[in-house]
Amino acid sequence: MSIRHGLLALLSTGSRHGYQLRVEFEASTGATWPLNIGQVYTTLSRLERDGLVEPGESDEQGRVAYTITAAGREELARWFGTPVVQSDRPRDELVIKLAMAVAAGRADVAEVIHKQRTATMRALQRLTTAKRAATDGAAQRLVIDSMIFQAEAEQRWLDHCEAVLKEES
Amino acid sequence: MTYVRLAGVTRVHGEGATAVHALKGVSLELDVGELVAVMGPSGSGKSTLLNLAGGLDRPTSGTVHIGEQDLAGVRDLAALRRRSVGYVFQDLNLITSLTAAENVMLPRELDGVRSGRARQEAMAVLAEVDSADLADRFPEELSGGQRQRIAIARALVGERRLLLADEPTGALDTRTGDEILRILRARCDAGAAVLLVTHEPRYAAWADRVVFLRDGMIADTTDTPLASAR
Ligand SMILES: Nc1ncnc2c1ncn2[C@@H]1O[C@H](COP(=O)(O)OP(=O)(O)OP(=O)(O)O)[C@@H](O)[C@H]1O
Ligand SMILES: [Mg+2]
Repeated sequence: MSIRHGLLALLSTGSRHGYQLRVEFEASTGATWPLNIGQVYTTLSRLERDGLVEPGESDEQGRVAYTITAAGREELARWFGTPVVQSDRPRDELVIKLAMAVAAGRADVAEVIHKQRTATMRALQRLTTAKRAATDGAAQRLVIDSMIFQAEAEQRWLDHCEAVLKEES
Repeated sequence: MTYVRLAGVTRVHGEGATAVHALKGVSLELDVGELVAVMGPSGSGKSTLLNLAGGLDRPTSGTVHIGEQDLAGVRDLAALRRRSVGYVFQDLNLITSLTAAENVMLPRELDGVRSGRARQEAMAVLAEVDSADLADRFPEELSGGQRQRIAIARALVGERRLLLADEPTGALDTRTGDEILRILRARCDAGAAVLLVTHEPRYAAWADRVVFLRDGMIADTTDTPLASAR
């Protein structure tokens, strides 16, 4: 989770102060990644410590605009140029629940699958509604798309579980 | 307002030992302005359900109503279908000896619309599915995805109030598939009723309601209408 790099990316198109960064960060991630202003300032001061951004003079309202440095641009290019490692997934409760239900030979596995499939489909419907309503540009829609693909993968996996279990029974 | 009503519908193909019970008592209502998606494994009865809902096939038992009409009492189902039902077939069914535009014009001409006007209407829906430039090509000169769009245009032409789509996104990439769903959804919001068969959850999610078929029966459904769906 790189708030650091997100802020650097925003600053690479021009100087901004903390509040602006927060608003733009949320807009481009479709508000799926809410930031509080405290996180923004903590991150900015670390970026400043590492020489990646520079604060300007404060304006009449006491706001300080930050500017990306050459080192900051280099760090940003390195980030964009490096693929994200498919890290170990956090343990998924659904996967564990189903594995346990199957291993324990519970009679209600099919019921667990049905319930989950309906719930996941509802979530997918909500995401699709959000996508249809998304008007803040492609970045926002693509973030929602990512969640749609994930929910869809879960749905397909549930269908697969059902088919495999039906075969085995 | 209910536009299509299936009540206790069964459909048995064949007889005796080889009989296939494709649907075993399905009840489903489709409202004006509603998009319902049907999901289910291969052979679960999705296409059979769509054929019955659109009057392309008759149930073994149970009733099907479109609007006020009980289809059992309709003699000329073909005429009713041309006027009210747009159908995107799973295998597309484009006529190979006609160009894309002519394929789209056909249902209108069969309905007595003059050919100049039918062509105008065809060009308008072709533009809606972003295929105006393909109008004069024959089906075999089109890619799978392009053919898919032409078949969709043919179902949309003439403002039909019931749209039945059997895997309309089959050969399409996800961006184009989303575009097709956007078009179907817009038709719905303009007052059409849409029944969509798909095995892809991402497209089913555009629906107001999702029905899961298993072995000819409705296994579960996301029944509570989404408050936030509109
Ligand atoms: N004309 C027919 N004669 C005999 N059996 C048929 C006929 N049409 C369909 N069936 C059978 O009815 C069952 C349901 O078929 P249907 O085409 O409705 O499935 P489906 O859910 O659309 O499957 P798919 O996802 O593969 O398209 C299947 O077992 C099929 O073999
Ligand atoms: Mg089918």
